[in-house]
Order: sequence, then structure tokens, then C-alpha cells
Amino acid sequence: MSPEKDVTGPTAAPLSSDVVVKNRYGIHARPAALLVKTASRFACEILLEKNGVQVNAKSIMGLLTLEGHHGAKMRIYADGADAAEAVAALTDLFEQKFFED
Amino acid sequence: MLRMAETPRITVANFFEAGQSLLELEWEANADKAVGREIVEVALNRPGLALAGFQRYFAYRRIQVLGLAEMAYMSSLRPEERQKRYRILRNIPAAVLSRSRHMPVSVRKSAVELGIPVMRTHLVTGHFMNAATVLLQNMASPRIRAAGTMIEINGMGVLLEGEPGIGKSEIALALIKRGHSLVADDTTILARDSTGAIQGAAVEITREHMEIRGLGIIHVPRLFGVSSIRGGMRLNLIIRMIKPTADDEEIDRTGLDTTTRNVLGIEIPLVTVPVAAGRDLTNVVEVAALNQRLKQMGYDSARELDERLKTVLARKEP
Repeated sequence: MSPEKDVTGPTAAPLSSDVVVKNRYGIHARPAALLVKTASRFACEILLEKNGVQVNAKSIMGLLTLEGHHGAKMRIYADGADAAEAVAALTDLFEQKFFED
Repeated sequence: MLRMAETPRITVANFFEAGQSLLELEWEANADKAVGREIVEVALNRPGLALAGFQRYFAYRRIQVLGLAEMAYMSSLRPEERQKRYRILRNIPAAVLSRSRHMPVSVRKSAVELGIPVMRTHLVTGHFMNAATVLLQNMASPRIRAAGTMIEINGMGVLLEGEPGIGKSEIALALIKRGHSLVADDTTILARDSTGAIQGAAVEITREHMEIRGLGIIHVPRLFGVSSIRGGMRLNLIIRMIKPTADDEEIDRTGLDTTTRNVLGIEIPLVTVPVAAGRDLTNVVEVAALNQRLKQMGYDSARELDERLKTVLARKEP
């Protein structure tokens, strides 16, 4: 049995941004869907991290497992050509409280 | 894609909760002190020697189990001496009194005074030690989150990997409709158990649910019945779904080269399948699971055919 080939190529350093969940109910289904919809507009890989646990920001179920309650501190990571725009767009959603409250 | 490992922190309250029915645990004293009280050394110890006066190598960071022998010995001491000896237990995470039917009254009193959480069980000490050791090892087992959907196909645990939107959940749904069961949608917790097997399970908060593009979130057992889900399952195979590229160098067309992925130190067979638009992978995934089962039973289809080919070709040699 041969171990899997490493297929990851060289990429630019990933970008990141620290965010706080500001809406009252936290990242429930609707904000998660909004994040996924926004993240999916970008080609780059985007991760959301809370307490050292990372999930793909393009997956609703993944985002829900983070249990992002009101006040939770998170970090957005993006890696790829449009990473800067992606980080800005997602950070804005956190700032806008996902258009809730 | 596998994410970073999580090291579980185990408290006395976690241990009690996990072992309550399995180990027939009940609270004897100071249950309120169990929350947030960490078990630093995740193991058990019988404090017989320490109670008898030899304290140099006392493994006080472990849960201490007092069985019939310890109780009989302590009962043989004068009350003042007994109290003094019990004091060496004041820094342990928790104590368990096994064979609690035979417990002397003095032990109950001391348990309260010590100020540490004390549990009791009716189980015989040896049996308790074995069962609790396995439980603790499983609780402390290293685990990671895998971005993937896990399904059980005819007794095989299969993890489907691939970028969001490639169709993992849709395939899982089709497999559920064929009578297979969902373990976890999208995010799977993988843990190495005490036997060295990798066990997959859902994240508690989203378990039993799936997200299907266009439908939203669905509750699987309500739609398809209780047999459509499984609480946990051993991981036997990883299927990586990739978008087809011009050079399909990665794709094994013979099935002769077995690729594996290292998950928490264990090599798990890995199959890479290209997903062309409109290609229904349900059959492919189902057959990949069956083929892996066949391999585990000792029959490797690709290799058997290759051997047959080689034999036939050798015969035809002039």
C-alpha cells in the first residue's frame, strides 16, 4: 500500500481576519446559509475557525457544528486568487450581524 | 480534507455521564464538585499500597478505585488512624467504591469529609476496572474532524470526501433510499479507539440531519425511519470525489494500486473517483464499499484477474 500523493501545490500565504458573532441568536441556520451563499461566490478555499476547530465556510452543516453563539470569537481564513475579496465580504456579514436584530 | 486533531479534556462529570449505565455508577458524595474537575491522567489506580502507608509512587492524578480489599483493610484500622490514611486521597480527581453492597458505614462518612467526588458501583472490582479502563481510553482517544459525509453500506463504514457542492449529500441520500444508513453528513468526527480502529460519528448538534441543496436541512430518521441512521461506525474506506482534470494521472484504472490515507496513525484504504457533470455515483460508491469488503475477506478482484491474465499470457508464449 502506498501513501497518498500530496497534491497541494504552492499557493500564496492565506489571509485571515478575526471576527465576533454579534447577532443575538448566533450562527443558526439562516446566518449559516447566508455565509455559505456568500463564500460560494468565491473560488478560493475559505475556512472558519472557532476554538481551534476549522470548518469549510462553503458548508452549512459544517458551520452549524461550530456552535457560534453570540459573542463567540472566530477567524476567517481564505486561500486563493480572490481571497482578499472573500475575507472582506464575510467579515462584513459578521459586522452587519447577518442582517438580523 | 482532514482537519487538525482535537485533544479531548475529560472531567469527572464526563466520566460519570459516560459510565453511568455501563458501569452502574451512582453518586456517593460531592457530586457538585465533579463539573470541571479534570482527570489529568486518564487511567485507574487501586490505592491499596498508598493507604497502607507507602506513598512514594502514588498515582494520585488517576481515578482511585477502592474495592473489597481496601475497605476491609481500612475497617481494620482504628478510627483516628483510618481518617489520617484517607487524607492522602484529598488531591485525587475522584474515587469509585466498587462492590458497594459490602461497603462499611465508615467509608461513607469519610467520603463526604474528603471533599472529592466519590462514586459507587455494585460491580465487582475486577470487572469494573476492565470496563472503566476501556471507557476511559475511548474517551481520551485522539480525534479529528473530517470534512466528509459518512455512510454505512452493508456493514462497511465509508467516508465520502470532496469539495462542498460536489454531491456528497446527494449520494448519501440515494444510498439511504436503498437501505443504507447515514452516520454523519458533511462533518464527521473520527476517533482511534483502544483496539486501533478508527470510529466515525456525527457532531452531536447536527447529528441525524442533512443539508440537501435546494431542499435545505432535513431530519433523516423522521423521513426514512430509524434504520436510516447509525450512531457510530468503524471507518473502512475513504472515497475522494474530485472534479475530472485533463490529465487523469491520479485515477487508477486497474484497481491494482491500493492507495491509503493515514488517519490518526492508521492506514485507511482510499479510492479516488472523478465526478463528471451528471454522473450518478451512487452505484460506484456502493460497489466500492462491496469491493472493499471483498478485499477484506481476502479476494482482490483486480489482482485475481491480473493473475489469470498473466497465467494465460505465459501459456501463449512461443
